[in-house]
Amino acid sequence: MTGTAVSIVIGLIGGPLLGGLVSGLDRILTARLQSRIGPPMWQPFYDVVKLWGKEKVVVNVWQAFCAYCYVAATAIALVLFFLKSDLLLILFTQAVGAVFLVVGALSSTSPFSQVGAHRELLQILSYEPLLVFVAVGIYLETGSFKIAGLDTWDEPLLMKLPFLFVVLGYALTIKLRKSPFDLSTSHHAHQELVKGLLTDYSGPFLALTEIGHWYETILLLGFCSLFWANNWIAMMILIVATYFMEVLIDNVSARMNWRWMLGYVWAMGLTLSLVNLIWLYVG
Amino acid sequence: MNMAEEMLSAEQLSAILIILPFAAAVICYLIRVSAIRSIVVLIAGTVLITSAVLLIPLTPFSLSPQPFFGVSIHVIVQALDFFLLLIILYFGFRHRHIAIKALALLQIIFLLYFEFFLIQDKPDTSALYCDHLTLVMVLIVSIVGSLICFQAIAYMKNHEEHLRLNRSRQPQFFFVMLLFLSAMNGLVLSNDMLIFYFFFELTTLCSFLLIAHDGTKEAVKNALRALWMNSLGGAAFILALVGIYRETGILELQRMIIYGNIDAGVYLLSMALLCFAAFTKSAQFPFQSWLLGAMVAPTPVSALLHSSTMVKVGVYLVLRLAPAMNGTFLSHCVAVFGAYAFLSAAALAVGQSNGKKVLAYSTISNLGLIFACAGLNSPQAIIAGILLIFFHAVIKALLFLCVGSIEQHIASRDIEDMRGLYATMALTALITVMGVIMMIMPPFGVLLSKWMAIEAAARNLYVVIMIALGSALTVMYWARWAGTLMSDPFAGRFKLERQPLLTWGALGALCLVAGLSSIAAPWLYVWFAVPALNAGYAAPFIVKRGVLENTTGAFAVFPLSMVAILGFVIAILAVKKAAGARIVAPYLSGIQTHAPGVFIGPKNLLVKAEAKNYYLASIFGEQRLTTWINLGAGVLLTLVVGGAL
Repeated sequence: MTGTAVSIVIGLIGGPLLGGLVSGLDRILTARLQSRIGPPMWQPFYDVVKLWGKEKVVVNVWQAFCAYCYVAATAIALVLFFLKSDLLLILFTQAVGAVFLVVGALSSTSPFSQVGAHRELLQILSYEPLLVFVAVGIYLETGSFKIAGLDTWDEPLLMKLPFLFVVLGYALTIKLRKSPFDLSTSHHAHQELVKGLLTDYSGPFLALTEIGHWYETILLLGFCSLFWANNWIAMMILIVATYFMEVLIDNVSARMNWRWMLGYVWAMGLTLSLVNLIWLYVG
Repeated sequence: MNMAEEMLSAEQLSAILIILPFAAAVICYLIRVSAIRSIVVLIAGTVLITSAVLLIPLTPFSLSPQPFFGVSIHVIVQALDFFLLLIILYFGFRHRHIAIKALALLQIIFLLYFEFFLIQDKPDTSALYCDHLTLVMVLIVSIVGSLICFQAIAYMKNHEEHLRLNRSRQPQFFFVMLLFLSAMNGLVLSNDMLIFYFFFELTTLCSFLLIAHDGTKEAVKNALRALWMNSLGGAAFILALVGIYRETGILELQRMIIYGNIDAGVYLLSMALLCFAAFTKSAQFPFQSWLLGAMVAPTPVSALLHSSTMVKVGVYLVLRLAPAMNGTFLSHCVAVFGAYAFLSAAALAVGQSNGKKVLAYSTISNLGLIFACAGLNSPQAIIAGILLIFFHAVIKALLFLCVGSIEQHIASRDIEDMRGLYATMALTALITVMGVIMMIMPPFGVLLSKWMAIEAAARNLYVVIMIALGSALTVMYWARWAGTLMSDPFAGRFKLERQPLLTWGALGALCLVAGLSSIAAPWLYVWFAVPALNAGYAAPFIVKRGVLENTTGAFAVFPLSMVAILGFVIAILAVKKAAGARIVAPYLSGIQTHAPGVFIGPKNLLVKAEAKNYYLASIFGEQRLTTWINLGAGVLLTLVVGGAL
């Protein structure tokens, strides 16, 4: 019982703290790659605190509803992860958050929000199946969709599911809003859709979406950690290397359009998943 | 419980469930007074719901009705069977439809051969059988069906005022609606396959009459299409019965299922033909066009066809037969076929802006998933199928009734025209959004079933890949719709719109049933779904504190429901608080004006900004996909039937 309570607290409080920190490091690293110094490491927290203190301004009151639901769903998903629950259940809960973010954007009539929301839906369409394939791969290897047994699994999953790790990488890139997949909204100030999906979220509600994003970041890095779950050092190296790759890809690639994204991600994701799943299936 | 047993026996309840709607139908037809008709429908529906609930403690049972005035039930059904086929033949001649004529004649010939040449001495079969699968179906038909009929009272009044008819056609309408409920209850309760076949054909005829109800050229055309496609299914059905009887001498559904010798070619081929009949009934590709065409009928008809009747016959039949096919290639093919339909219909739904078409494709898609579950044929998959039948029925009925009321208000069923509906139809829009949420989000029942289905399919690569892709497409078309309903620049006030009391009643009841049964899903699983499994299928989950769990997975239904309710309350409080916030016009990248969607552009001109939804017709449009999907379905269907050879 205490173990459960500790997991819930770690998920609820540790998640966004860690997520904000990752976001801060990401900004510094990105800046260095672009020959800038970048903001202080704690800048994301300053931003959120500042936004939280702003006046509440909404286009539609349902935006507030959606922002809260987004944070709630992503937080629950992360807590479920720390409770070592069912992978598919975690994915579905995470999807609830993503959908509410879209519905909130659609509740504004601004074309920027609308187009951003539709692009976000296409992004969900692109990565959702890939995440399910990863879960199925883990099931085929371990015999369970539950994360519980993974930290004592003898062999790191990466050895058996190398292609599925790449597939997870695609989902991660989309989810972290990195180029070439940052169609719906971007961390960088060069979005042709203004702020796309997030255009009409403002003040405290924008702060909420930021916190939700932190939860999601940690959740996805958590998925990555499953691929080397039996050794803490290896796990950390894997996560750091993966995140560094993400930042690198973000900086060397241009934003593409949704047609390319859907075609490329489904084709590559399906092929790589199929090959890896057939290995597991036959093996 | 004892009281119920003392009050009414299983036999009496079965009689009520089958005959009462028919009796009410006849009264509706004969007494052409709207007030009396409304009262009759309300009373019949209430009695039906009560009887279905009273049936719970009596399940399971099997029985044979006493001879009716000295005439055996089998003889009565025999006569009715031919009578029904002659009616269908009559419609074939009246509308000069060659396929309907041919298929009706074919069925008559098969039936003559079957009844008078093949069956030498009629074995003493038990005519009716009710286990928990039947019970689930009876509850769906009686509760959801009755609620739809209640709402139809209000809907049809409005509908006919709009059409300005000289003479009300509601007597016919309610006659067929209630007859449909009789047919459905009869079908799910019957054990004798000839009785089953009679009700199977009766649902075909009822749906034909309902689709043609408005009498327009398009309505008649679409009704005829439904009739010939379902007659094809009927022909396959009777052919399968002949095959099974010749091979095994069995006429009872229950004995047919436990008949062990599945290697017998004719037996398995007959099973494949029954699956084929089920696919036509459930409007699977390439027979989807009849269900899409059915939306010309008044909306309560669509609600009835899509949720509790007609299309559910097919999935019920295949779930019923699943134990007989266990471990065969046929079963595997059914799984692939179902998953294919799930994916294809979801893709087509993405390309639609017509709300009713989205609902129709979503029905086909969900039915495909149920077929996939039946084909996967593990205990977990079968449970997923049963739960999905129930949750889909309730929520789809709800959504159709919502769209029906919306259509009567805004005179359109296009999703684009529902933009910002919250401003004018606040509560209906909210209920619709609730329905959408219950279709795609955990911890609600549909997603619970989908979760079970994916975990059950995980060792079947084709199936699981198609389900994963289909799920993502499903999220897309539902989320888009929900967002569009809320898309509104002026907000902050909630104004209840005017709707007839019966409409509010039906919407509220369906919403409540869907929500509460989702929370109670772990217990519904224990009470209804597990007992519905055939012998040889072990209960796949352990339920502890409202969590469904086994070695491969866990779904914390009840705890998550509580957390979801908490989150919902917090979010609602946030809305209340935000109502006091400053409401501004959306950002348009120009000088803002007070009118939403208009900004001051270059040269001080007012520019109107507008955005529409992505329907991606170039990828997911019907014109682009339908031919190829039908082709693929044709190939798979050949595999289903041919693979059984």
